[in-house]
Amino acid sequence: MTSNPLHRRTVLGGAAALAAGFALAGCGDDGDGRAPQERKKGQRISLTFWSWVPGIDKPVDLWNRKNPDVQVTVEKVSAVNGQQYAKMHAAIKAGNPPDLGQIEFPVLPSFLLDNGLLDLAPLGAARHKGKFSGWQWQQSVFGKSLYAIPQASGPMGLFLRQDLFDKWDVPTPRTWDEYESAAKAVRRKGAWIETFAPTNGNRFAGLAWQAGAKWYGTHGDTWIVHLDDEPTRRVADYWESLVRQKLVKTIPDRQNAWYKDLQTGAIPAWVGASWGDALLVGNAPGTKGKWRAAPLPQWKAGEQAFANWGGSTTAVFAKARYPKDALDFAVWLNTDPESVKLLIDGGYGFPSAKTGYATTDLDVDKDFFGGQAYSKVFADAGAHVDTSWRWGPGVDTLYQRLGDAFTDALADGSSFRSVLTKVQRQTLADLKGKGLKVASG
Amino acid sequence: MNREVLSRDTPSRPAAVTPRPARRNRRGPRRRASRAGARNARATAAFTLPFFALFGLCFLAPIGYALHQSLFTTERTGPLGLGGQEREVFAGLANYAHALADDRFLTGFGRVLLFGAVQIPLMIVLATALALLLESASARAVPFFRSAFFLPYGVPGVIASILWGFLYVPGISPLVKIAGAVGWDLDFLSRGTVLWSIANIVTWQFTGYNMLVLIAQLKAVPGELYEAARIDGANAWQVARHIKLPLIRPALVLTGVFSIIGTLQLFAEPMVLRPLASAIDSGFTPNLHAYSEAFVGNNQHAAAAEAVLLALVACVLSFGFLRLAGGRAKEHG
Repeated sequence: MTSNPLHRRTVLGGAAALAAGFALAGCGDDGDGRAPQERKKGQRISLTFWSWVPGIDKPVDLWNRKNPDVQVTVEKVSAVNGQQYAKMHAAIKAGNPPDLGQIEFPVLPSFLLDNGLLDLAPLGAARHKGKFSGWQWQQSVFGKSLYAIPQASGPMGLFLRQDLFDKWDVPTPRTWDEYESAAKAVRRKGAWIETFAPTNGNRFAGLAWQAGAKWYGTHGDTWIVHLDDEPTRRVADYWESLVRQKLVKTIPDRQNAWYKDLQTGAIPAWVGASWGDALLVGNAPGTKGKWRAAPLPQWKAGEQAFANWGGSTTAVFAKARYPKDALDFAVWLNTDPESVKLLIDGGYGFPSAKTGYATTDLDVDKDFFGGQAYSKVFADAGAHVDTSWRWGPGVDTLYQRLGDAFTDALADGSSFRSVLTKVQRQTLADLKGKGLKVASG
Repeated sequence: MNREVLSRDTPSRPAAVTPRPARRNRRGPRRRASRAGARNARATAAFTLPFFALFGLCFLAPIGYALHQSLFTTERTGPLGLGGQEREVFAGLANYAHALADDRFLTGFGRVLLFGAVQIPLMIVLATALALLLESASARAVPFFRSAFFLPYGVPGVIASILWGFLYVPGISPLVKIAGAVGWDLDFLSRGTVLWSIANIVTWQFTGYNMLVLIAQLKAVPGELYEAARIDGANAWQVARHIKLPLIRPALVLTGVFSIIGTLQLFAEPMVLRPLASAIDSGFTPNLHAYSEAFVGNNQHAAAAEAVLLALVACVLSFGFLRLAGGRAKEHG
């Protein structure tokens, strides 16, 4: 509640803050000083890099020691609720973005709408293609352009409390049918195998990806949105049946209540991703040695269909003053063996680089997984990710729409299929509202 | 002053009218203004200038900008809308139509109105009761209690929401645990209860503040009124009912208006509790909806339109309330 009339200022909440931000940011724009240029030999320059990755300063310090002429300054941005992207979009609009930024795969297209990112193809970025995992490189390719250098991905897998599964005599589920049986068995023991977090669009997208969905595509200069397709419906039906049978909880994941359930064994499994190891270690230290990683359950026994949840890139903003040096830094950061090693130690998931590290380097928390070489599970998954998946503009809005619609469905009992229909319709309208040509898949 | 007023040689004309021209003369036309007056005016201007400059920069300019933003929209060209041109084009009221066609935005309004209808009266009744109690108590501990009740207001809303969040989340909350032990399944964050869990946070925060406003007004009540009442044989209850309550009416109206505005702007509490409660959607309150539009959808134009609508509703409701309450105050004389 407001305490004094001055607070009325906040009536204009977002808009006013945004406006003020632009107005102020606009003052700092030095206009013509931003034209991209070539660095002269021996000239000292400095680049700014916005990131939220813990431990990112270590590889950057290393770069600064090795490249005294190109000094990179890391500015930490908050990654809570997408605040970092709000800040980047605002900076782009104000005309004074940093030189480089950490941007996740799904939100890249939203930045292309702002014309916020630099096309790296004319700078000859294609010569680095072979250094990276193919599908991750493709995530940043739009038409003939390339907009970012991949850093890390998040191949999906299944984390489970082996001790409890053994004690309850529940085999590790290899298919989604077996997973449902396991859920029933776990429920009989008074625990819940998982939570279906209605607001977690990222994971739902990954599960649809695994089932063979293609949410976004392009046709000429039209975006195709195809959320309400057969594979996604299968995934929606499956989780709906688990929810309706009361086999899974519906609390938000990666929040206090969920961590508490992991600590106590009230939730003994998690359909997660490679970066989840750090999360389990950090939030359920008391369960050390009891967890194992298993491949993501399959729709058909013996198949090898995998998907990705999370992962991000290093992008160069369109206004970067020294594009070539920014690109060199982005490539070095994500391929140099020493840098990659430091990134891994910082707990930043699965490198996009093909070489310069061994899978065993990634087993940072081996003891926590009872000595299991758990990264192999995710490496195998990463090798079988369906590479044709594409992201489109406005994914953050899509996630929010999904979250809202799933929340409604859980409350009023409407079907998960109707969620897909509704969000498909809304997404088409959202993209039209952004001035894009869209069609339904 | 003006002797004519007292002469009453013109009974047809109400006496009170006569001083008016005189008063107008005093503010008078320019030619009568002395040099001192001009100097005064300049001094006044010089002293108020910083205020108006800041007011314009920090208050009027953003409002103007938001209004401007709300009337435009972005058009994109180029293949797939990528890498082409971005233009701001005039959209008329399209953003407003878009906002008003959005069910979630309207539901959010309904939600805060319901919230206000229940929470504001409760809080003000509670604040009034506390103020009257503390005002009539002659015990030593009055200052202590006054500070204790006021203390929550010193806790920023975000922090308060985090604190209460711990008391609401199952698995961590001692309240839920205790209730569970006696077989009572408490859920503070379900779709039906989460709004009232937020109401509880807000009440906890602002009751003490409103109480203090009321106490300040109570302190201004002249003592002889109480003496007169006592001589007339009024008991404490009657004094509260017939003297104190009517006299603190302005303060009650004030707290009412602030609370209405605050309720419409409800933002921090649902924003903080959102990750903990799936039941809080992206448009739980109108302010949250505008925030999501701006910072998730990156659509400032729609957000600006929603913010303007929210401001309009706040204006209508608070002025409406003032008219209503003020009008009734006049009847009381």
